[in-house]
Amino acid sequence: MMPAVDAIDLEVVKASLGGIVQEMQNSLYRTGFSTIVRESQDASCALMNERGEVVAQHVVLPLHIGAFPACCAAVIAAFGDTIAPGDAFLINHPYQGGSPHAPDMAVITPVFVDGALFGFCGSIAHKGDIGGPVPGSCSGQAREIFNEGLQIPAVRYHSGHVPNADLERIIAANSRTPELVLGDIRGQLGADRLGEKRLAELVARHGAAKIRACWDRLFEMARARVKRAVAGWKDGRFEAERFVDDDGIELERPVRIHVAVDKHGDSLHFDFTASADQTAGPANIRPPLVQAACAYCLISLIDPHIYVCSGLLQGFSMTTREGSVLDPRFPAPVNTYNPTVHALVDAIFAALSHVAPARARADGSGSRSIILGGRNPVTGCNYVQYEIVAGGAGARATRDGPSGITVNQSNARIAPVEIVETEFPTRLLRFDLIADSGGAGRNRGGLGLRREYLNLEDARFSIRSMKHVIPPSGCAEGLDGRPGDIVINPDGAAARRLPTRYADYPLRRGDVFRLDTPGGGGYGDPLEREPERVLADLREGYITGAAAERDYGVVVVQTEHGPAIDFAATARRRNEGKP
Amino acid sequence: MGKVRVTVDTGGTFSDFVCLDEDTGAISVTKLPSTPDDPSRAIVDGIEALLGGGIRAADIAFLCHGTTVGTNALLEGKGVRTALLVTEGFAGIYEVGEQARPYGAAIFDIMYDKPPLLAPRSLTGEVRERVDFRGEVLLPLDEAALRTTLHALARREPASIAVCLLFSFLHPQHEQRVGAIIAEELPGCSVSLSSEVLPQIREYYRLSTTVINAYLQPILERYLANLDRRLAAAGVATPQKYVMQSNGGMSTFEAAARRAVTTVLSGPAGGVTAGVAACRAVGIPDIITFDMGGTSCDVALIRGGMPFVSSRGKIEGHDIAVPMMDINTVSAGGGTIARASPLGEIEVGPHSAGAMPGPACYGRGELPTVTDCNLALGYLSADNFLGGRMRLDAERARSAIATQVAGPLGMPVARAAEGIIRIIDVKMEEAIKAISTMRGHDLRDFMLLAFGGAGPLHAGRIARALGMAGVMVPLYPGVFSAIGLMMSNVRHDYVQSRMTAIADLTGDAVEAMFARLAREALADLQRDGFAAARIRLDRAVDMRYAGQGYEVSVPCDEDAVRRDGIAGLRRRFDEMHRQMFGHMAPDQPVEVVSYRLCGIGTVSAPPMPKFEPTGAALSDALREYRPARFDGESLVCPVYQRERLDVGLAVQGPAILDQFDCTTVICRGQNARVDAWKNLAITEGAP
Repeated sequence: MMPAVDAIDLEVVKASLGGIVQEMQNSLYRTGFSTIVRESQDASCALMNERGEVVAQHVVLPLHIGAFPACCAAVIAAFGDTIAPGDAFLINHPYQGGSPHAPDMAVITPVFVDGALFGFCGSIAHKGDIGGPVPGSCSGQAREIFNEGLQIPAVRYHSGHVPNADLERIIAANSRTPELVLGDIRGQLGADRLGEKRLAELVARHGAAKIRACWDRLFEMARARVKRAVAGWKDGRFEAERFVDDDGIELERPVRIHVAVDKHGDSLHFDFTASADQTAGPANIRPPLVQAACAYCLISLIDPHIYVCSGLLQGFSMTTREGSVLDPRFPAPVNTYNPTVHALVDAIFAALSHVAPARARADGSGSRSIILGGRNPVTGCNYVQYEIVAGGAGARATRDGPSGITVNQSNARIAPVEIVETEFPTRLLRFDLIADSGGAGRNRGGLGLRREYLNLEDARFSIRSMKHVIPPSGCAEGLDGRPGDIVINPDGAAARRLPTRYADYPLRRGDVFRLDTPGGGGYGDPLEREPERVLADLREGYITGAAAERDYGVVVVQTEHGPAIDFAATARRRNEGKP
Repeated sequence: MGKVRVTVDTGGTFSDFVCLDEDTGAISVTKLPSTPDDPSRAIVDGIEALLGGGIRAADIAFLCHGTTVGTNALLEGKGVRTALLVTEGFAGIYEVGEQARPYGAAIFDIMYDKPPLLAPRSLTGEVRERVDFRGEVLLPLDEAALRTTLHALARREPASIAVCLLFSFLHPQHEQRVGAIIAEELPGCSVSLSSEVLPQIREYYRLSTTVINAYLQPILERYLANLDRRLAAAGVATPQKYVMQSNGGMSTFEAAARRAVTTVLSGPAGGVTAGVAACRAVGIPDIITFDMGGTSCDVALIRGGMPFVSSRGKIEGHDIAVPMMDINTVSAGGGTIARASPLGEIEVGPHSAGAMPGPACYGRGELPTVTDCNLALGYLSADNFLGGRMRLDAERARSAIATQVAGPLGMPVARAAEGIIRIIDVKMEEAIKAISTMRGHDLRDFMLLAFGGAGPLHAGRIARALGMAGVMVPLYPGVFSAIGLMMSNVRHDYVQSRMTAIADLTGDAVEAMFARLAREALADLQRDGFAAARIRLDRAVDMRYAGQGYEVSVPCDEDAVRRDGIAGLRRRFDEMHRQMFGHMAPDQPVEVVSYRLCGIGTVSAPPMPKFEPTGAALSDALREYRPARFDGESLVCPVYQRERLDVGLAVQGPAILDQFDCTTVICRGQNARVDAWKNLAITEGAP
């Protein structure tokens, strides 16, 4: 029989679980070897029950809430009763496990109590390179997952705390940066082992039965919180769609992401079946990621402080269509999942903007990474330079969108210029916000960024971006944000624009490339923006005088004290075209 | 009367004054309401009150002050109008910042905003110049263009200018020249150069730190000048006038006025410094300081008598990268509010009732707080709070708990109160684990040093839950931070980044780097009035495995380098890495990133006053017996007046010790002994 759990036990155990995953996460950040883990913090840690469901996750990458259970399920399916104390498992296979793409490698360790499997500790961290045709392993032109680097099914990495050296050698032999990959994997293992130790202490204090009961109760609570919030929303069917620029192969064909939300009473169903067929290029994402995107949106709308566990996933249901971009058939490529997930999150927010108007927002820039690979002439070693660059956030119902900030599920730090130039043969020429890139609106979208690089050595260049063709959407009559752009040698006669995602462009020494990231969409009619706020934006350089007049209908004149509003002309300008 | 030391810890509500007679070791304590509009007023009032007590101004030989002037100006956005100069093309560095949102709820919060820019873009100018990663000039400074930029900025009348150029930590000459030209073009304008404030790699953190310095420098300078004048007028003539810094060391008024940014996170540093002094006096090397007040709880780890220092922190979202005491803060204090959620959960914090309206038992608020629970459980004395100056309303506390938590959850008030305390305790336990077990320390070796108004109420249970060696409660837990201010040394930190593969590094190169930093430190400390014999220089190098994004600071004294060479440095790095992170990679290439030197001007610390037993009996300190609740049971336990407990006496728990501004709870099964410094040492078992 389950022991009774009251509110106090539950809160005490919850605080302890939160402490454990926090501690694992700190350990992983501090021990990870690569700049990705250390500076971009593209990694997360979780505790799972014996079924592999997440009971606690330090929320860094919300998408991993779907990945952890899928990875554990694969480990259980492969090793079942042979799972033993001191084991550690490795898996990165997007179809057999739940990794969004193969570079996201999971290290899973079992936790035993009194000789029985009690749960798992897990960590997932993005690896800089696991082989494949391009440095960074994420080819925008991949046609199968076999073009996406080393694929590892659930394998035993440690047995009785002893590493499988053969496995390490295989991984090392398949990476352009073997030390960093193995260093990160060991860092992950250290975080898991720490979690095991802390979980064992927690069990020793409260007893296994009570911890299990708390876990079940946490699931119930999470489910109930979703249901309760949903019950307060408007009933009905709400649809929205967004488009991903392209899949990296068919460059002229945007990929449709469609959601129909059915909401009746406390039941909430997401129907994604009208989304596009699976793509030839790597725009596909698998259902664990779709589910995580739904959970992400619900947490945002219900309460950003909600305790994150698998119970949240029980508060709603969803349908995907096999063979679609959101439920592809093996071995369709999946490496560039982020554009699709951002489109998915944007579509869900758009559909749900009817039910929670105070939390409505325009779309943001999504996210993007650039990857350069080559040989560093100073060190003589191969290198992979991987950077994640943000843009503008969408405007909110009550405020402007922030500039140069991560949005939705993405949250990587930008690489410092001084670190990039010290480690890699490149030089930054420009790092600034782009005026007028934020979508105009009663509230303005955040501004996108410009990073311009001078290449000091030959290098292979890949980009995985989004919203270069289809801009971030405005909301409630707000205008769209400025789309992103990537141009090689922008100021020369031989300027060349690359597509939104592109793999393996051969950059020459002396080439310049310029990355512009999208601005966020605006919210509300720009003609309703107070002229004083338009003037303030002009003074701060967020918009130009031309945009003030064109988009906001505010006429600005130069005075001896700087720019000032011509109120009469502004009133006339704003009344033009009104009935 | 002989020489006295006076320290002042300015808090949000009260300013704490501690006065120590150096000859007799006698300590007197005063609390006065703070005067936030001009904190120097309360300070001079407090000193005048002390003077009224028979001390002559000329007797004051030492004054140290923990100031929140800079912190408050930053939190309230009341710094000066600040401009920023950056390398041409790089105006995005500041506003983009880390680009990422803070971890946790912000990732889901579409209403999240970055902290406000302390130097807006309209006050940001670009400087034509460029230096590369080797410190070589790619583009010389365009002075004519700079003057034009400054003319344009001058129309906006900045009071302060921050200058942060790329790679200025390797080539400070451009920034220095910019500073000189600002002095010509905008005389009277304060200038903060990033190469002086923080010559450290990673432009955004250097820039943000420099901007904060620029934003606060004129304010702190004016404040300290004003305070200095008032002190002089009051007859306080000692040259030993200091302010506390975030690094746990003191700074002279003059140096602090230049480096305002070093005071911003100094609030909790005094408590840690006092902890270090207490460690040394009593001979306990390993301590966790536990400072729990009204709204928050600060914990820090001291190992082998040494506190830990971290090189980066945040205040209200602003990044600040000066060395600071490594203190973990959680929202857990006496004022922390508990409530029942609609789904039947108990939520404790993070909101606090603060000083206004305060806990329900103060008679104004309606919401139950941790203090209300401590009262309802019988730990606090309703009629002996602040020495009886303030009566607590126990009925109101119980009723708040009943209405907001116990009723909705269908549990008795006592169970709810005990549960709320348990939950807040777990949060503080997690905060302690985060700085101890997470870094490979074994808590069984550590004593919990409890202070602040609420620390000693909770410490016994927390130490027990964490399996710690015991609890120490100092004689004056309510003003312990102010006591710490008289135990500090003057300390200035110097850093210089220069990334070098360790394979390319020579002992001579290391010594040359440190020699430069040492010259700077000696000059500063001599200006502060320290003779060479009273100056100590501590050195460390920040090292990492090549490609890592994070450094480990490895102590590196001159003898060690001479004796063990670079290889020895490398071994120490591997070993520290293993200790902190659980693994090392002795075959991996290692880089040195920065050189750190800490210049310490030693100030003779007064001995902690020691006492002889007077022969008083335990019963002399007994006030009353009253029921209090422990582990679900109501136990009648003795309440003692702490001030009357004689040296050497022991109290068996359960028991409650009241003192003027603090209450200590001894749990069942624990005992407390009064040591020769009148600290309480609480351990498990019978006395």
